[in-house]
Amino acid sequence: MSLDIRRSSASVWGSASGMRTAQVVSKYIDTTTCIGCKACEVACQEWNDLGPVATEQVGTYQTLPTLHAEFWNLIRFNERDFDGGLAWLMRKDQCMHCDEPGCLAACPAPGAIVQYANGIVDVNPDQCIGCKYCETGCPFDVPRFSATTGKMAKCTLCVDRVSVGLEPACIKACPTGCLHFGTKQDMLELAKGRVQQLKGNGFAQAAVYDPQGVHGTSVITVLAHGDHPEYYDLPVDPHVPWGVKLWKTIVRPLGAIAIFGAVIGAFGHYMNHGRKGVKGADAHDANLPDA
Amino acid sequence: MSTVAPPSRRPMDPAVLVARDQEDVLVGNEIIRHKLSSRVLHWVVAVTFFGCVFTGMPIWTPVFGWMAHLFGGLTVCRVLHPWLGVAFFLSVLFEIFDWASDMRFRSDEKGWWGPKLIRYMRWEEVDDENVGKYNGGQKFFFWTAGLGALGLLLSGLMMWFPQSFPKILMQLAYLVHDATFILFMVAIIFHIYLGTVAEPGTFRSMTRGTVTRKWARLHHPGWYRQVTGEDPRRP
Repeated sequence: MSLDIRRSSASVWGSASGMRTAQVVSKYIDTTTCIGCKACEVACQEWNDLGPVATEQVGTYQTLPTLHAEFWNLIRFNERDFDGGLAWLMRKDQCMHCDEPGCLAACPAPGAIVQYANGIVDVNPDQCIGCKYCETGCPFDVPRFSATTGKMAKCTLCVDRVSVGLEPACIKACPTGCLHFGTKQDMLELAKGRVQQLKGNGFAQAAVYDPQGVHGTSVITVLAHGDHPEYYDLPVDPHVPWGVKLWKTIVRPLGAIAIFGAVIGAFGHYMNHGRKGVKGADAHDANLPDA
Repeated sequence: MSTVAPPSRRPMDPAVLVARDQEDVLVGNEIIRHKLSSRVLHWVVAVTFFGCVFTGMPIWTPVFGWMAHLFGGLTVCRVLHPWLGVAFFLSVLFEIFDWASDMRFRSDEKGWWGPKLIRYMRWEEVDDENVGKYNGGQKFFFWTAGLGALGLLLSGLMMWFPQSFPKILMQLAYLVHDATFILFMVAIIFHIYLGTVAEPGTFRSMTRGTVTRKWARLHHPGWYRQVTGEDPRRP
């Protein structure tokens, strides 16, 4: 599969490379058939050669309290009381591979974060400067800074596997079939079918989580309680933070214009008004010592 | 029998010698404006400021990415910038203590943030005979620069340790750091312009420390009267 680039961080103009059209790919996650076995966590650690991470007990089955620079795929375990009893909600947390990635918008290092034509958002550690701007830009709280490498790290959607026609490691490991991988279109079809099934089974609020605030994601999630993504630690309406947009699209270009403008303005002032003192009677050669 | 002449040494410029530790005094035809320690402090502020500018601007926008080559790459800039920023703030702090007493606004020095500044930039006389060692515009620049340095420090510290602050505050920090820097940079460009080509005779006050009588009469007549006891508008 082509690894042409659609967007690249901190590029002024023309970051898209290549002329091949690539279909957008997506993970499919069905939270309703996830059994919390964590096979995907193990597969992710193995394929990406990530070391073990010390954990702490948070009172659930969750491996770690949150994502980590060396732990990119985390099953979140949430418990909720409903009228009908207790619901044990498991959700695979990882980079959502947004169509409009906030991390990429915030990143100041050219080429450190790229979005391939197939929708995968990837990090180039050799270009990363470790400024952590991407943490502020991400509406899903995904990128993590590694104190070991001084770089940020996150799920790559196994771009190294996808590019040679394999499915991501987590998908391959899933024993219940709650994870699938394919084109975004196919995955949406699959998800819609599953939502219909769930609605027929009494989950009237079931829905596909493919948030349009970031123009959709390349990780789509089927939620039984689709009206409450927050039950699964998912943001209700994620979008690239307004502060990052204002900063990068308005303040920064205006600032660059203001700085160039000040230089031109000073030069123009000199042409128009000249040196101070020339007009004054006493001041004709103010720069010369008194006789 | 012949004697060997001692090596001839040009006598040290008396004004420069006095300027090592005194200011606001007349030496010959020169007036000492900035004592040595104030000048050194000013250049420490300038060097740390431009260190921050050249390490920060390539991170700010790729348009200025070429500046990163001065330091060996963008990562070096990212590592240096916060330390240079702290050094800049500390030197500004020392400078504020050094100059604060001369920078108190007098009651007739209001309005320099706008109307008076525009009149000044047209080279019209503002505050006229009474302009002291610093005019209202310089005082306004001094205090806003101090405030700007504080804004850059606080927002910069947040950007240095983003994990310690809520994300909503971090967004604000980036905006504050950016906007403050832009205003600072525009002000510094005019500061340099006024201190060099636009007002000849000014730059030497920050190198040798001295200015001419004529310069003082033109730009700071009140200060001239105070230092020399002479009427700055003598015929």
